[in-house]
Amino acid sequence: MKKSEYLYLDHAATTPMREIAIKAFIDAEHEGFANSSGGHNLSRKAKNILEESREIISSIFEVAPNEIIFTSGGTEADNWSIKSLFNKGIKSNSNLVTSSIEHEAVLASAEWIKDNDFPVTFSECLNTGELDKNSFLNAVNENTIVASAMWANNETGIIQPIKELTKEVKKINSNTLFHSDVVQAVVSAKLNFHSEGIQSAAISAHKVGGPKGVGAMFISNEFKLPSMLHGGKQELERRAGTVNVAGVASFAAALQEQQNNFDDEISIMMNEKSEFEEIVKNNFKVKIIGENEKRLAHISNIQFEKVNSEVLMVDLDLNGLGVSRGSACASGAQRPSHVLEAMGIKKEYINNHLRFSFGWSTGLGEGKKAAEILLNSLEKIS
Amino acid sequence: MRILVAMSGGVDSSVVAGLLKSQGHEVIGVTMKLWEGPNGEMPETGCCTASDSEDARKVAAKLDIPYYVMDYTESFSEDVVDNFVGMYAKGLTPNPCVECNRSVKFDHFLTQAKKLNCEKVATGHYAKIIKNDNNYELHKADYLDKDQSYVLHMLTSEKLEYIEFPLGTISKPEVRQIAAELGLKTAFKKDSQDICFVGKKDYRNFVNTRVDISSSGEIVDNNGKKIGEHKGVHEFTVGQRKGLPGGQGEAKYVTKIDVSSKKVHIGERKDLLVQNFLLDEVSFVNDIVTNDLTIQTRYNSEDLPCNINEIGNGQLEVTLHESTYGVAPGQFGVIYQGTKLVGGGRISSKVLEKSGNG
Repeated sequence: MKKSEYLYLDHAATTPMREIAIKAFIDAEHEGFANSSGGHNLSRKAKNILEESREIISSIFEVAPNEIIFTSGGTEADNWSIKSLFNKGIKSNSNLVTSSIEHEAVLASAEWIKDNDFPVTFSECLNTGELDKNSFLNAVNENTIVASAMWANNETGIIQPIKELTKEVKKINSNTLFHSDVVQAVVSAKLNFHSEGIQSAAISAHKVGGPKGVGAMFISNEFKLPSMLHGGKQELERRAGTVNVAGVASFAAALQEQQNNFDDEISIMMNEKSEFEEIVKNNFKVKIIGENEKRLAHISNIQFEKVNSEVLMVDLDLNGLGVSRGSACASGAQRPSHVLEAMGIKKEYINNHLRFSFGWSTGLGEGKKAAEILLNSLEKIS
Repeated sequence: MRILVAMSGGVDSSVVAGLLKSQGHEVIGVTMKLWEGPNGEMPETGCCTASDSEDARKVAAKLDIPYYVMDYTESFSEDVVDNFVGMYAKGLTPNPCVECNRSVKFDHFLTQAKKLNCEKVATGHYAKIIKNDNNYELHKADYLDKDQSYVLHMLTSEKLEYIEFPLGTISKPEVRQIAAELGLKTAFKKDSQDICFVGKKDYRNFVNTRVDISSSGEIVDNNGKKIGEHKGVHEFTVGQRKGLPGGQGEAKYVTKIDVSSKKVHIGERKDLLVQNFLLDEVSFVNDIVTNDLTIQTRYNSEDLPCNINEIGNGQLEVTLHESTYGVAPGQFGVIYQGTKLVGGGRISSKVLEKSGNG
């Protein structure tokens, strides 16, 4: 099969880079290759590119430029916000509250905190795919230093009640840092961190057509987090390491284009996803997860009756459709999803799910074509 | 045709994929993930390790074939590992490779291959499939040193129709040479000999962590006299010589394990001589034949001339022409006519009891 014929519906995993982002990367590398921390002419060029990029990105999220710190990606930002306040010397009952449906970057950071003997609560999830607000808020108390909940789930696309949570958490403890992993949300939702009440957020470039290995942390000026990487004084003395200027420039270019084309891109994703889901559910017994909930435009998680999705996924790949199933482990085997488990999906169905995710590069007719390939495989396999 | 190849990351299955591809088939490679650590990681020792699947991936990339890691841990854990532990707890000697072939590779995997529109599955086993009229026969590999037909004895003609063993006519040195010619990085990789989920560790520790061994009991001699104590029957296997009390006079062997009384019987080598025994859960590749038969009572052991007598209920009585040592209940007896595999079954513990000490 030729590469061009391959239909890619795994944009929630990563996206192809936008042409403009590739160009921005190359241009920045040509003009601003120098170390942005240096004192000479070429360094200033690099520094200018870096700061212009920071302004572009901060204005998109309506935050101050110095509230954006560039990182290696969403995982680093999640680790930083969640772990760095749990230092030696803080009270032993200082605690973290998060949810059971978070991304692994958050869950594993939470486990690390637990291993260091601080209390951690993983709040429950409702059958609807929304985290259980009561269970979350009941765990927040005067010793909660960090509360963390994703804006929208990366496996189901289901949007979480973040604004309500931030408001209530603030009432219980105004010193709690509210962190939100918005990596997936940024793909198909417009966010204003301050009005959401979010004080820290993890953002990734490659989900929106930017390069891999680049991301940003938003951290409200009300908070100061200890550094995770120690060394030079880059990024306002908060993150050591020579800044990836070309990556950041490319990130800014990708986000900028996404914002400029936002309505068009979202409407294509929505239409293709709806068409895809319509055809599939009219022709096969499926359950679309969160069908009647508020969902991100680009994610469709489908449960197939009596079809093991591991074989289905292989068959789809062999027929030119790339999708995903839960999260991949180190060996490449695909594991059942902790998110679906948390939603109370029964064991006999947990291996019957696939995630189809649309993105900025999705073209007209792809939803229909994907549905045809899928139905073909289902007919064979079930 | 489209063929699904089970790729372990070793040289044998690498060459299978390479040979089939060079014959013009549409080859799809799959590493079966059989066993995992507590966090879902591939094991670090034994076979099926993360580095093995990485080797398989590299071979698939070199051959330019689609490649997947698929999860069979649930089936493997239930059908192979639980069985392995349970057999030791019952004083029997399990053969996990047979269980894996029966329940995982040539059942679950084969079913999935059919779903993926594959006409056959292929593995790196050393055995031969010969089509004879409308029947498929299973034969020993030409390269007898590596013959693995023993662990494939449960495959019936109906199953063999969907299976390819491309290494049946090739020797191991030739396999390595082909791998080298194809530029496969597994060409000179060491063969794995361990039980894949136990690795280099002692299987007893593995069993200990999974089964309640509050079954300590007595070690007794031929006269029923207590001569020591043991910590659990699972630590013994019939024919075992190591780790027994005593030391004077003739070497001692485990001759019988009685799970109900928790007694481990030991005796002399001659007590292990067996001429008649029963096979349970017997299956035949094709119709049963009864003339010019031999039997292997362990993997790749000597072929012993025998007669068989079907007694119903999936049982078969085997009479050896000459008595032999080393018939361990739980292992399989596999019957051949020349190189052709006739059938096989699990060696029952009952007959050993019937024939007293031996």
